[in-house]
Amino acid sequence: MADSKKVKLPEAGQWPDRMLVPALALGALLTTTGFLLAFFWVAPVNGAKLSEPVMVGDVTVTHVQLLSQKIFYFHMPVAIVSFVALAFAAYYGLRFLTTRQQRFDTCGRVAMEITLLFVVFTMATGDLWTRFEWGVWWTWDPRLTTYLILMLIVIAYFVLRNAVDDPQRRATYASVLSILAFVDVPICFMITRVIPSSVHPVVAREGGMSPEMAITVTVVMVGMMLVAFGLYRLRFRQARLAERVEALKEQIEER
Amino acid sequence: MNAIEAKHLSKAFGTRKAVDDVTFALPEGAFLSIFGPNGAGKTTLLRVLSTLDRPSGGEAFVSGADIKEHPDTVRERIGLISHQPMLYPDLTAEENLLLYAQLYGVEDAQGRVDQLLQAVGLAHRKLDLTRTFSRGMTQRLSIARALVHDPAVVFLDEPYSGLDPHAVDIFDELIEAQRDERTFVMVSHDLEKGFHTCTHALVLARGRIVAFAPKNELDFDEFSQLYHETVGMGVA
Amino acid sequence: MARVPITKPSTFAQYATLLKKDLRREFRTREMLTSMGIYALLVIIVYGAALALTVRDLDIVRMSGGLLWALIVFTSLLGLGRSFAHEKEQGCLEGVLLVPLDRSVVFLAKATSSFLFMLAVEVVAVPLFFFFFMTTAAPAPTLGLIVVPLFVGTLGMAGIGTMLSTITMNTRARDVMLAVLFIPIVFPLLYACVTATTAAIVGADPWTDFFVMPLVLAGGYDIVMLLVCWVLYDFVVSA
Repeated sequence: MADSKKVKLPEAGQWPDRMLVPALALGALLTTTGFLLAFFWVAPVNGAKLSEPVMVGDVTVTHVQLLSQKIFYFHMPVAIVSFVALAFAAYYGLRFLTTRQQRFDTCGRVAMEITLLFVVFTMATGDLWTRFEWGVWWTWDPRLTTYLILMLIVIAYFVLRNAVDDPQRRATYASVLSILAFVDVPICFMITRVIPSSVHPVVAREGGMSPEMAITVTVVMVGMMLVAFGLYRLRFRQARLAERVEALKEQIEER
Repeated sequence: MNAIEAKHLSKAFGTRKAVDDVTFALPEGAFLSIFGPNGAGKTTLLRVLSTLDRPSGGEAFVSGADIKEHPDTVRERIGLISHQPMLYPDLTAEENLLLYAQLYGVEDAQGRVDQLLQAVGLAHRKLDLTRTFSRGMTQRLSIARALVHDPAVVFLDEPYSGLDPHAVDIFDELIEAQRDERTFVMVSHDLEKGFHTCTHALVLARGRIVAFAPKNELDFDEFSQLYHETVGMGVA
Repeated sequence: MARVPITKPSTFAQYATLLKKDLRREFRTREMLTSMGIYALLVIIVYGAALALTVRDLDIVRMSGGLLWALIVFTSLLGLGRSFAHEKEQGCLEGVLLVPLDRSVVFLAKATSSFLFMLAVEVVAVPLFFFFFMTTAAPAPTLGLIVVPLFVGTLGMAGIGTMLSTITMNTRARDVMLAVLFIPIVFPLLYACVTATTAAIVGADPWTDFFVMPLVLAGGYDIVMLLVCWVLYDFVVSA
């Protein structure tokens, strides 16, 4: 064919990709700092009183100071990051529905993958927390329930993607589902939180944070955000390059 | 006025282009046959023109209405007969047609339905569930369904699939009777048949127009050769 | 030949036409009502076996709300999964989409018919449930109020279910897919409705916390979700 029209390839490697390595490095640094701060700087919140004081290291300890509370410094930031990632997935879903550009479908899918990763972290840390603080593996606490539901929806998102063959249809359904998930999750949290459960009372546990706690949480959160961003861009670049390869293959086949 | 006017019409997702830069104009009252190998984008083109799919680029006017800006106006003016009858098997022939007549807002719905049932020779079966109909009868009822709102343009998507030769003849007769009043666009595998009925022929390969011409400028043998070259290309 | 005179019908007229079509089909075939009804009965029988040893010692009154909703969720799932089967069978949905009509009309008509079928099944299944499990129990005098959560819950499930079954109609393994999507998304509504239903059966105190509040939240869920579905339906059905 004498057609010399240039085929537009999926673009990849824009400016955010240059931020990728610094973002990941800084994220890792901040998260590690937060980790150290959580263990060596923030004073443990007092737990149950011990029958007699014991010496741990050089310090006299009179209360159980569960190390499990350190989980909190990771649990909360991770949970927030996962919801932010979901918000991005829903935003890209909306963008896809209005523009119908495959690019936004890829963005949404990658954001959803990040959501899944962080939701799994949240569930893991949350479950450790439940086990050590409350002594049970599972309780239908509002937060845990909400995150379980969120995890199920995110898994359903990927099951749905796998079950649809036509790429455009798959993208549309996935976008709609990410928007539904984003609307559903806050409602779920509200409903499980507001309605009193007769089996397990709503646990109102934080009584405000001390400045050290707040600083540590913020450091970890910023770190986690950067890690999430870095991972997102990394995965996005990979997905886009894969699409580019596909496009090039098709182009070669046409010759 | 042209019945169909497409300008640089494309339907793509990512880099995969089902319809790529299609430009043609079809005068009113014509019968266009669209040929092409499997996966050439014939059905997609038909779906885009009949507003079932949105184009990703370019523009098209069907019976004067813009398919992107005024899809509802296009829908008022088109009918589609596909290999799927689009009839509810658990409703009677009459109920099916009445349903569509009411949805379109035909004023004398009952009158129009009776007239159409008569025309396709199914008046005596109007109270039977369409589930009990043979393939040929279903396809005849499908013609009535597509014509219920008196469309200016009728699309035919592989209408012969599953029909026996006798049913094909009846189908052709019914369409033939409508040719003075409407424009037809047909997607078909059957080269000889499609060429015989049409006034214009269009060949698609990989979403692009390979040839578009009024039939009187074409010779069947040449055309057939061109077509087979194209199909060969599609396979390779 | 003179052109056929056409007056574009109102949106409501189109809605009524589509709804009437669904109802007529159903009264003719009784496909959904019988399958859902039998399924509900089977779930009750499974409950009978599951609770056989404990039903005497167990506080059935406190559990009945949850059991009832489990019954409704599974029965609805069955019905919703079939609600688009006949639209798909001969490409009818495309035929309807070729008509100049607002896509949300298709959603509203289908959601309404599913809602009505689900209600019809509940009218039979709920008394049956009480007949089999609650004849010796002593529910609170507020028992009759369970119709409110039943109504609100069924409404939301019909809406979300219509949306999701439009999606799953074009997927592989569509029945499983519908359950995988439906149950997590409908979870908050289910949670609220179970609480309100149990509150009505038990006569919970404080009444506002256990009955009114969940119903307000469930109503809010219905409104938000139906609006979202209504807006997004065009994309889903045209995909």
